[in-house]
Amino acid sequence: MSGTLAIYRRELKAYFDTPIAAIFIAILVGLLSYFLFKDSLFFVRERAEMRIFFRQIPAVLMVFAPVITMRLWADEYRVGTAEILGSLPISTRSLVLGKYLAALTVLAAALVCTIGVPISIARLGEPDWGPIIGGYIGSFLLGSFFIALGCWTSSLSENQVISMLIAVLVGVIFTFILTPRLAAVIAGESATLARAVEGLGVTSHFDSIERGVLALRDVSYFLLGTLFFLTLNAFQVESRRV
Amino acid sequence: MADTPASEPARVEILVEARALSKSYGHTRAAREVSFQLARGEILGFLGPNGAGKSTTLKMVTGILQPDAGTASVDGIDILEDPLEARRRFGYLPESLPLYWEMQVEEYLRFIARARGLEPARATARIDTVIDQLDLGRMRRRTTGALSKGFRQRVGIAQALLHDPPVLILDEPTNGLDPQQIVEIRALLRELARERAILFSTHILQEIAAICSRIMVIHQGRKIADGSPDELAAEETESPWRVLAAGGSPLGESARDALRLGEPTGTAERRSYPAGAEVPDLPAIEREVAAVGGRVVSCERARPSLEEVYLRLTGGPATVGATASEGESGA
Repeated sequence: MSGTLAIYRRELKAYFDTPIAAIFIAILVGLLSYFLFKDSLFFVRERAEMRIFFRQIPAVLMVFAPVITMRLWADEYRVGTAEILGSLPISTRSLVLGKYLAALTVLAAALVCTIGVPISIARLGEPDWGPIIGGYIGSFLLGSFFIALGCWTSSLSENQVISMLIAVLVGVIFTFILTPRLAAVIAGESATLARAVEGLGVTSHFDSIERGVLALRDVSYFLLGTLFFLTLNAFQVESRRV
Repeated sequence: MADTPASEPARVEILVEARALSKSYGHTRAAREVSFQLARGEILGFLGPNGAGKSTTLKMVTGILQPDAGTASVDGIDILEDPLEARRRFGYLPESLPLYWEMQVEEYLRFIARARGLEPARATARIDTVIDQLDLGRMRRRTTGALSKGFRQRVGIAQALLHDPPVLILDEPTNGLDPQQIVEIRALLRELARERAILFSTHILQEIAAICSRIMVIHQGRKIADGSPDELAAEETESPWRVLAAGGSPLGESARDALRLGEPTGTAERRSYPAGAEVPDLPAIEREVAAVGGRVVSCERARPSLEEVYLRLTGGPATVGATASEGESGA
């Protein structure tokens, strides 16, 4: 546990000592606010809600979560600091967990920084808080999923850019290919395959949480997905010893 | 294993034991059944040309690299069975000197202390101790990326020493240091070795001669020699005698034949006669040399230098006194 904490503190400090976290937070807040307010729909519809805001979240996190995670392992392997990490009495699981939690914290900080959006909306009208809270929970869970994915791809290469591109590629599959829309297209061919496509993609699960329905099925999807990628991450780190 | 020097076996406390460590990268066999033991108080130098398998072997001992076969134990703990406990028993300095460049020296050492689970009070005390030992006081608040190579190397050694381990494993510890720093680091290693076992690799012969109590020569992944510098030199049974004479004229051919001496080399002030492997008849030689107006300065067995031993063992030149820091292939 002390090992996880030591890694977590170091990584978090590295994020906030360098401009990475600040740039990430600024981009995320700026981009999402832009979609919400510049897109005149918000004012045209004159509804105090954040649907437009949360609708952009999967695509935005898919691209920007790997920006946070890409250096986590790739840099350790490139500089060689992984060798010293490997000589410390810290299990691979603790290393993986410490790094993942640090990246997740940056993402959570970014989400907290968008708090101005619901506050503004509350001043403009009477929002329905259920979908807004659901949207934040969904964004956090989705973020955790993409962060874990990014942690894993970061351990695949010594090159940060390559690791980021792999993460985005896998993210595209989960976000834009395994969608309810594709499921509807292939439903006629095979209902089982359609269910699998819809169940494996992030969209259907995120949408239902974002609607304010916190179903165990959707929450466990994101948690299991996170666990899956972190396990791949740990395997990859271990396999580097061979 | 019968690789340790035969001195007082009962008193020897083995801290590192490697048993038939083997590792291949594709078709390249980086280490082949390397076995050795290292006792408390010993400094064992791993010597070999670049790419000989030194780094690979060290990494297997630390567990950073999984051996294909064989295992190692540190302070009695098997590196494969209980890797975390074994890692508490040694400090490791990697060859390429990797640090987190954005961290300050003290901050970095505190991170290592935390990661090693040191209590905060002990961590502070140990950080002060190693900063003092490695003369890093003025560099405490510098970021490691802004340090000279010599200081980075010291931070790397400080990091390995932080938890006061019984074993130190150092890959090319004096790489990139200036002569003054090398002398300091050697003195520190000698001092540290009193209570510890130190295993380090180098491709620089003087290093070995300067501080090692034992040498292990690795060549093409195989251990080809293991012993004290004197033991290795003494193995050279073929080494010939040599007679040095000063002044006078050279001995004639018939006189040399009678005395079993070869053609002299050198100048009139210092003529060197090779004398073969058998003990020369010194009184007769002295008489003959005096007869031609000279005198015998010395008659001794030419003791092979470490360089000669090394060359014979590896069949290739060593990097003598070089400061080159080429990475080891496949390490």
